Amino acid sequence: MTSLAQAGAPAPAEPARRRPRRGRARDASPGESLAAYGFLAPNLVLLGLFVLLPLVWAVWISTQQTDGFGAGDFVGADNYARLVSDGQFWRAVVNTVLFTTLVTPTAMALGLGAAVLLDGALPGRGVIRSVLILPMAVSGVATALIGVLVFDENSGVLDGVLRALGLPDVAWQSGGAGAFASVVLVTLWWRVGFNMLIYLAALQGVGSHLHEAATLDGASAWQRFRYVTVPMVGPATFFLLVMNVIYSFQVFDIVFVMTGGGPQDATSVLVTYAYENGFVTRDQGYAAAIGVVLLLLTLAFTAVQWRTSRTRDLTE
Amino acid sequence: MDITRRRLLGAAGALALPAALGGCGGFSTSGGSASGGEGTVSFTTWGTDAEVAGLRSAISRFEEGSGATVALNVVPYEQMFSNIDAQIQAGNPPDVFRVPYYTFGSYAGAGQLLDLSPYLESSFADRFTPQAWAAVQNGGAPFGVPHHTDTSVILYNRAMLADAGITDVPATLEDAWTWDQLAEVATTLREAMPPERYPFAYNWQGNGVTRWLSWLFQADGRFLTEDLAGPAIDSDAGRAAVEFTQSFFAQGWVPPNDTITSSTYASDTWYAQTVAMVWAGAFLVPDAEATLDFEWGATFAPQQVRGGGDFGGNALVATAGASDPELVAAFLTSVTEEESMREFCVGASLLPTRADLVEQGIEFDVRPDLSPVFVGQASVVQPEDSGQVASPDMASIITVLQDQLEAAFVGGQDVETTVTGLSEGIAAAVA
Repeated sequence: MTSLAQAGAPAPAEPARRRPRRGRARDASPGESLAAYGFLAPNLVLLGLFVLLPLVWAVWISTQQTDGFGAGDFVGADNYARLVSDGQFWRAVVNTVLFTTLVTPTAMALGLGAAVLLDGALPGRGVIRSVLILPMAVSGVATALIGVLVFDENSGVLDGVLRALGLPDVAWQSGGAGAFASVVLVTLWWRVGFNMLIYLAALQGVGSHLHEAATLDGASAWQRFRYVTVPMVGPATFFLLVMNVIYSFQVFDIVFVMTGGGPQDATSVLVTYAYENGFVTRDQGYAAAIGVVLLLLTLAFTAVQWRTSRTRDLTE
Repeated sequence: MDITRRRLLGAAGALALPAALGGCGGFSTSGGSASGGEGTVSFTTWGTDAEVAGLRSAISRFEEGSGATVALNVVPYEQMFSNIDAQIQAGNPPDVFRVPYYTFGSYAGAGQLLDLSPYLESSFADRFTPQAWAAVQNGGAPFGVPHHTDTSVILYNRAMLADAGITDVPATLEDAWTWDQLAEVATTLREAMPPERYPFAYNWQGNGVTRWLSWLFQADGRFLTEDLAGPAIDSDAGRAAVEFTQSFFAQGWVPPNDTITSSTYASDTWYAQTVAMVWAGAFLVPDAEATLDFEWGATFAPQQVRGGGDFGGNALVATAGASDPELVAAFLTSVTEEESMREFCVGASLLPTRADLVEQGIEFDVRPDLSPVFVGQASVVQPEDSGQVASPDMASIITVLQDQLEAAFVGGQDVETTVTGLSEGIAAAVA
């Protein structure tokens, strides 16, 4: 059982039990090993065939100049060298990082807040949970089309509401900042439900005795949230952080449908820029190079998180 | 909740599996094997119900006459070219597919299409208008047949124009508004309309950016040299076209979101009565007639030094590895016979590419009164205009047009910088 920090003390709760990070595995009999590999084999084959092989292939294509038809010309690292001096690429990098920085913490904070509220005895919480989770069941393209209806500058719902309130219109489509904001807002609407769902599951595992003990020690509601709830959902936070960052780096459908990367590249992100190069101008080697850079960015971030997260394996 | 690293990895694996399996779907084809068997032509297309009905009718006619069969594979437009590209890369493309004229060049230039010269009669070119035949040429040889065309005219909301006192619109091609007259009409509308409504919207969204070239052609300009090997847009005509179209935004003649990258199509803005006029192709007529509850008409696109318009529509092309080139050529000949083309165009509200049908005129099933406006407008397209759009480098040129025009319209980039950017971008694209 976790020993609670003194009420009001700033230090986070000390985990009661950590799994050993490294240890000698129990010796398994050859039969057991064979069975284990047998169970793993289908997944390994699928991963190898549909994830690893395409990855290696993409790296190979990124060293070529090719329109996708026939054999390409080997150009070594030329495509990567082009990236360095490509202003549109750097604009897409900045937009992707900004998008991730805005969406990831906001979606997680809103998801945690909603989960905490809906974990209690709130009237109609089943309905509210369903409403929040519902966007998960809608495809990204359909979500984006709804976003177009809401954010259309001429006949959209949002500018209509702003006008009715006597507020100025926002250039959701023709202004760079407005367009970026519209993409972020629609993504949040789509993603908060997923974050809430994971946090809700994590909250089920936080024993009520921890809160009772903290209450007896004189902890306020905020202190119980900060020093009990937040550390105890640490593994879920770690999982969501990694997943949200990966989803954000890979954002495509919402941007593609809502803004097409415009106006003036204000919402262009790495995947839309790769798509434009790969399937519009057919510079598939260059597009593959962008994809490889995106992979490296994602791996680097995940590795850093893996090494630095202190609560990913926290258990009660 | 006890989420350990092991469980996390398990969950990640479970999430990855459907994603990996889903990835397989991208390579599937709707119709199984793409290549046709012996005596069979495999044909992949997208299309509206009316277009597919017209094609099926033409296919039946060919099958009855030849004894061959056509395996028709109708796919959604959204997956049409990702499918075709994947099939070409896999060495299993269909014998025939449908392709927009502005995309035709990228396939022909990459050596993926069949040179039809050896399989067509020497007089075959004579059945088409010169501008249509020019749109399927690559290196002086035909790599497809012009199946139909479409071009943009002005659709207008009668009541909105009348409210501004505009009751007289051009009734003949010769009387089409000049740019100055269009500016007068737009100014009159602007003054008579509330701020949230606008005189017109232009249909240059997405790949429709090629429709901006109509202004260049009206100013008697070109964007490529005659040999299609260099830029020709750095000209007075180029500057005039950029300056005039940029003024649409500065004058408040178009909604601010009528931009190149906008997700709101110009036609939707007109449907919502946010604008009084819109540039639109004939393909929109059936939908507009079925949807709109206000009175509307059509008039000719403007003229300046000369008339000009976009050469829209689609060609039918055969792939380089077609199993039976002679049979494929016979099919392409058959679907462009007078009866088949007339039936297709009349039913789908599209324009013919055959010279005899253009001369005779056709009547759409829906709003036949508008047919002369569209057919007349298509007649002002010059072969040198449509020939430029068939450039093998058109895909890259489209990106240049999108970037530079967006910078001019939204970013306020000046005319000289825009024309220089267009010229340099086009030079890099064709290099």
